[in-house]
Amino acid sequence: MDSSDINSDRPLGRDDLTGTETPPARVPAQRGPVPAESGAAAGGGPGGAGETPAPEQERFWKAGRLEPMPIRPLPKAPPSIHLLGPTVFLVALGVGMGESYMWPRLVLIFGPEIRWLFLIGVTLQAVVMLEMSRYAMATGESIFFGAARVFKPLMWFFFVTAILVYIWPGHLSAGASAFERVTGIPWQATAVTGMLLVGVVFTLAKVVYNLLENVLSICIGLLVVGTSVVAAMVGSLSDLSTTLTGMFAFGYLPDEALSPAWFPVIVGSIAFAGPSGMQQMWYTLHLRDKGAGMGSHIPRIRGLRHAEEQETMPSRGFMFDTSDPAEMSKWKGWRRWVTFDAFVLFWGITMLVTVSFTVLAQASARFDPQVATVIRDGERDAALDAMAASFTAAGSPVFGTIFFLFISLIGLNATLGLFDSFSRGQADMTYFFVPGARRFSMSKLYGFFLWGLIAFGIVILLFGPADGPAAILDTLAFLSTFAMGAYCVTLLLVNNLTLPKPIRPGILPNVLIACAAVFYLGMLFYSLFAYGVVVS
Amino acid sequence: MSAHAPSAGRVPAPAQYAEIAVPGAAIGLVAGVFAAGVAALAGLPGVQIATIATGLGIPLALLGAGYCVLLATGRFGVGAVGPVALYWLVGFPLARLIDEVAVAGVLGHDDVLRDPLLSFLAFQALLSIGFAIGFLWLHERLAPHWYHRIQRHNTAAADLMRRYIGQAAAMEERRAAAGRGRRRGGS
Repeated sequence: MDSSDINSDRPLGRDDLTGTETPPARVPAQRGPVPAESGAAAGGGPGGAGETPAPEQERFWKAGRLEPMPIRPLPKAPPSIHLLGPTVFLVALGVGMGESYMWPRLVLIFGPEIRWLFLIGVTLQAVVMLEMSRYAMATGESIFFGAARVFKPLMWFFFVTAILVYIWPGHLSAGASAFERVTGIPWQATAVTGMLLVGVVFTLAKVVYNLLENVLSICIGLLVVGTSVVAAMVGSLSDLSTTLTGMFAFGYLPDEALSPAWFPVIVGSIAFAGPSGMQQMWYTLHLRDKGAGMGSHIPRIRGLRHAEEQETMPSRGFMFDTSDPAEMSKWKGWRRWVTFDAFVLFWGITMLVTVSFTVLAQASARFDPQVATVIRDGERDAALDAMAASFTAAGSPVFGTIFFLFISLIGLNATLGLFDSFSRGQADMTYFFVPGARRFSMSKLYGFFLWGLIAFGIVILLFGPADGPAAILDTLAFLSTFAMGAYCVTLLLVNNLTLPKPIRPGILPNVLIACAAVFYLGMLFYSLFAYGVVVS
Repeated sequence: MSAHAPSAGRVPAPAQYAEIAVPGAAIGLVAGVFAAGVAALAGLPGVQIATIATGLGIPLALLGAGYCVLLATGRFGVGAVGPVALYWLVGFPLARLIDEVAVAGVLGHDDVLRDPLLSFLAFQALLSIGFAIGFLWLHERLAPHWYHRIQRHNTAAADLMRRYIGQAAAMEERRAAAGRGRRRGGS
């Protein structure tokens, strides 16, 4: 398919403005009410009150067997020198246990040279982020919708995987446990209060996205400033230089790293470098809610209290006229915008936080050479304690406290982001693909999944294992990493089969995404077959 | 750098600049208090906590305020990363040095620094990049709300708000012009 597949070669209609007729530019955060749909001509959209008159003959982009996408104008991109975008969610989700705990632990055991694998992991994730944004910004649809356009069972796989992997409140319990170590407040109380607070705040919010972006931005800003200040207080130049040079020791893999005990940990750590599991897929929903690209034609999700004000959701996304040079020029602006996000913000901040944490870990090892031995044997919680204890032994009680405080902050960030993202993703798939679901608004479905997750989480926290029953832990770890390989394959299919030729990825992004798929799936199955262990 | 200094007839009073400096000063102070708060939770002696809060918090707050004033007087461009990074490349090591001297002085330590001075300053300068990004991230998130709020009675803030809006418009115009140029070149 290419641009010629657009079903009409008539002159563009009233809604199909070209570059010279483009409405006044709005950055996404300032966008006004959603343009009403011309549902009648589109043949199937539920439409909404207050629609603008439909053009006499609608033009469409056909992608897969699902409903074609009407052609609409692409809004202008905001300036690329900006500091905040949907990346804030990926940073919030991405800077988690991998950056704060797993990689510093690997550095303590194998030396800073092991960080070359982290560099590869985060860089691949930045490329994945760019390719995820390609489909979402071109259509206003989530990558889940794109997957359904290629092959519906593919989307249902992600629907089921999300439930299996993300209903367990393990992230929250880790953060709450860290908070307990600092304050003495029982972790169950913190976790349950935190969940209820998240639910109430998201329910009362007028527009969930705006609230969440503000809260997460402040948290991430504090995290970046805080880690820099603390690393500056306890580290040294040699800690930092070995941390940085270790990123370029390509090919370094000591024998112990290839052992059954550590190889699965390394695979898991690479998978958890930056956003893991399905977090990259959820990013496409945040792009839509931010109004990036054609997402500006889609309403934003409102909190449950304001659900009645929710505009009617279109039954599919939109496409812009890729045969129009003015539209393509705007598209390039959006690509610059998201590239800035991917490499300056996402890549840079993720790297920055992990460098600071690794400096902290190196500082502790410098003072206490036994730290690696202590950490080597521990389970996660025991190892967290050991790391904090070693930080404390290394300098003063400040070190250990710092460690736990940051883990708490990261746990809060991850909880806010994960609860929202999970609910958003499941609501999106339910609304569009579960028969009868459209009689509820997207806001109500979002609220249903959010409170369902909270209710389940509270029950599990009080009466069950937070990470899930031990018997299925391996399955969940496998599914989480498998989903990453699977979304790379999905991305390749969606971007190359459903987008018009002028905006499909070039050879280099395709090769990199294919490499990422081989990387994740290859290491996962190698770990499984060579060592009989899935990632951990 | 921009040349948007306040016009001659409306030179703001020092109080206006003080008001403009609030967001930057607050972020600097929070960074210092963050370190002191961690020390407090860790159970360090009160005198050490207070020294960290003041020894680090006040220099960072003053430098943060300085950034806002330089921004308001047009010496820094709105949202520009490079000048902020350079500013903190000097400012952050300086603040840390003051902090170390203050702590050593109050606690009566003979050795002020663990490392040689040059190594210390180089390390702080490298980490200042992270601090600069975090500072700018928070500033761009918080400051426009504050300037919008005070612009009715603060002409310098009003001028700054105009620059925020004007910069966005100018970038759009440059982009459109570049697009037209490319199309002409391509035809």
